[in-house]
Amino acid sequence: MTTRAEDAVALSFEQSWGRLLAGLIGWCGDWDLAEECAQEAYAAAVVAWDRDGVPGAPLAWLSTVARNQARDRMRRRTTEDAKLDLAHADATDEVAALDAEDIPDERLRLIFTCCHPALPMPARVALTLRTLCGLTPAEIARAFLVTEPTMEKRLVRARAKIKHAGIPYRVPAPELWAERVEGVLGVLYLMFNEGYAASSGDSVLRVDVSAEAIRLTRSLADLLPGEEEVRALLALMVLTDARRPARVRDGRVVPLGEQDRTLWDGDAIAEGAALLASQDQPWGPYAVQARISLCHDVAARPEDTDWEAIGHLYTRLAPTPVTELNRAVAVSMTHGPAAALAMVEDLGDDLAGYYLHAATKADLEAKLGRVDDAAESLRVAIDLAPTGAERRLLRERLDALLSGS
Amino acid sequence: MKYLMIHAVDQDATPNDPTCASPEALDAWVQEMLARGVLLDGARLHPVSDATTVRAPGGSPVVTDGPFAETKEQVAGYDVIDCPDLDSALAVAAAHPTTQVGSIEVRAFAEGMPDPLVPEPVPDGKLRYLMLVCADMRRAMAAASSAAEERSAPSREDVDDGPDEVDTWIADAGPRRLYGWALQRPDEAVTVRRVAGEVVTTDGPFAETKEQIAGYDLLECDDLDDALQVAAGHPVAGGGVIELRPLWR
Repeated sequence: MTTRAEDAVALSFEQSWGRLLAGLIGWCGDWDLAEECAQEAYAAAVVAWDRDGVPGAPLAWLSTVARNQARDRMRRRTTEDAKLDLAHADATDEVAALDAEDIPDERLRLIFTCCHPALPMPARVALTLRTLCGLTPAEIARAFLVTEPTMEKRLVRARAKIKHAGIPYRVPAPELWAERVEGVLGVLYLMFNEGYAASSGDSVLRVDVSAEAIRLTRSLADLLPGEEEVRALLALMVLTDARRPARVRDGRVVPLGEQDRTLWDGDAIAEGAALLASQDQPWGPYAVQARISLCHDVAARPEDTDWEAIGHLYTRLAPTPVTELNRAVAVSMTHGPAAALAMVEDLGDDLAGYYLHAATKADLEAKLGRVDDAAESLRVAIDLAPTGAERRLLRERLDALLSGS
Repeated sequence: MKYLMIHAVDQDATPNDPTCASPEALDAWVQEMLARGVLLDGARLHPVSDATTVRAPGGSPVVTDGPFAETKEQVAGYDVIDCPDLDSALAVAAAHPTTQVGSIEVRAFAEGMPDPLVPEPVPDGKLRYLMLVCADMRRAMAAASSAAEERSAPSREDVDDGPDEVDTWIADAGPRRLYGWALQRPDEAVTVRRVAGEVVTTDGPFAETKEQIAGYDLLECDDLDDALQVAAGHPVAGGGVIELRPLWR
């Protein structure tokens, strides 16, 4: 049983943690202090809201409490270094109670800083999940299969670098805009993919990082309504996530062609399609990938898939080896396995070590009746597969191939 | 002659105080060298986890985290000293407490370097960065050794596309660049370290990396993006790599 106040605090945490923290960092310039005080404001809310009722403007209430906390702590500081942190916040002033409309949404500043290219990629992901999504270091550590002290250290280092190296807390200047938006989207997509891959069932304790990535991308689409690639990335995530209910069965990953398509989330597919419908050409890379995903999502049966369109869409992406491998799969459906196998074999040098290259090669060799070659390719793929679920799937395919079924 | 002392320390081994054995010993060295008129400028750098690297192949900047080379020892600080000759510069380096915990690369500046003028203190709202200008120097070094009779100091032209581009860059950087100068080639460097308490001097730089420090500039900027903009415009960013390291206040 939870009380009404506890429910309200939990809801406010989910909706407002990132906004509260973003505003506090902008106000006091100190990431550690802001985080501690935001946490304490929520702790205070559990008691106060139960006693006095839930305030009309919860975010304003939390901001006022957190700022008062921060002010008290800054007063107690004595070192010169700490006093420098008072740049934006005068420690002698009483913090006036804030009204809801006094609080600008500063999450954009926060996300651009968290995703700054000077930070290591794992730190960008961790810092974004911590500051914008409110995940605890323990939760992030579990999501990425590292120990909690390792994750703590990663976050401490990232915050230290922001301070020491002077990574600015602001929305980037116009000349940096395109590059930095791309950087933020890269972090969000990586977060989504890591969360999605982790959902294959190795651990039930993991928090749903891909859901957090979708939630944050949704917020970003609201904050940056003019950026088509943000909406395209949201579409790509939603359209991929729509297939999640059918992706794992009895602890094993089910390939797209064998999934129970009635389990796919029709509302999510409709949302993704709507997000894409309003987009103008030329499409960015996320828009193209989202459209490929949509081609799969709208096919009621595997044989209804519009492989012609998918093959064409792949040619609109930057021709990386992985893109070419995916295009080869589409080519095998439209032009037959022999044409596709030639493409896949050409990629052998670039993709040596990538299990999906070996697995795709095995598929095509099997279709051409070259059982021995296919078995050999599958053995290579099994050795290279990154997770247990994928290895199991490949072993089953190998068994089926060798038993002639 | 002016020399750069590059302090190189294994930062994983001594996470708490990577730059020197003790603050007292460091202070004693600084006071002595200032009194002798040897020390012109110097600073301790934030750890290498605070480093940022920029390359600009084809003119478009690529920013990455970390140092220009993944070496065991990393640059932890620098000093500019003025000594009559290399032996006295090596003696000054050998007396520095960094030799207790790491090594010091000593390398002469290219000729013509003026005295560094570094105002104290750092103005409010500004941050200082050491900008290490790094390039693949192997070709320049091979050319120099094949023309052994020509042992004159390399100028910036060995590294840069030309002095005009550097001049343009300096003008663009404006007050954000405090000073900077090119160094002699890395094969002219000497590295000082202690083995079992004894000073050991070896020729060459502190680490054998493909790209080597060719020179540096001291920047004073609003924030990292400001410093990255200055760094990305440097002519060496096109073919080499620039590492930005924030200074301790």
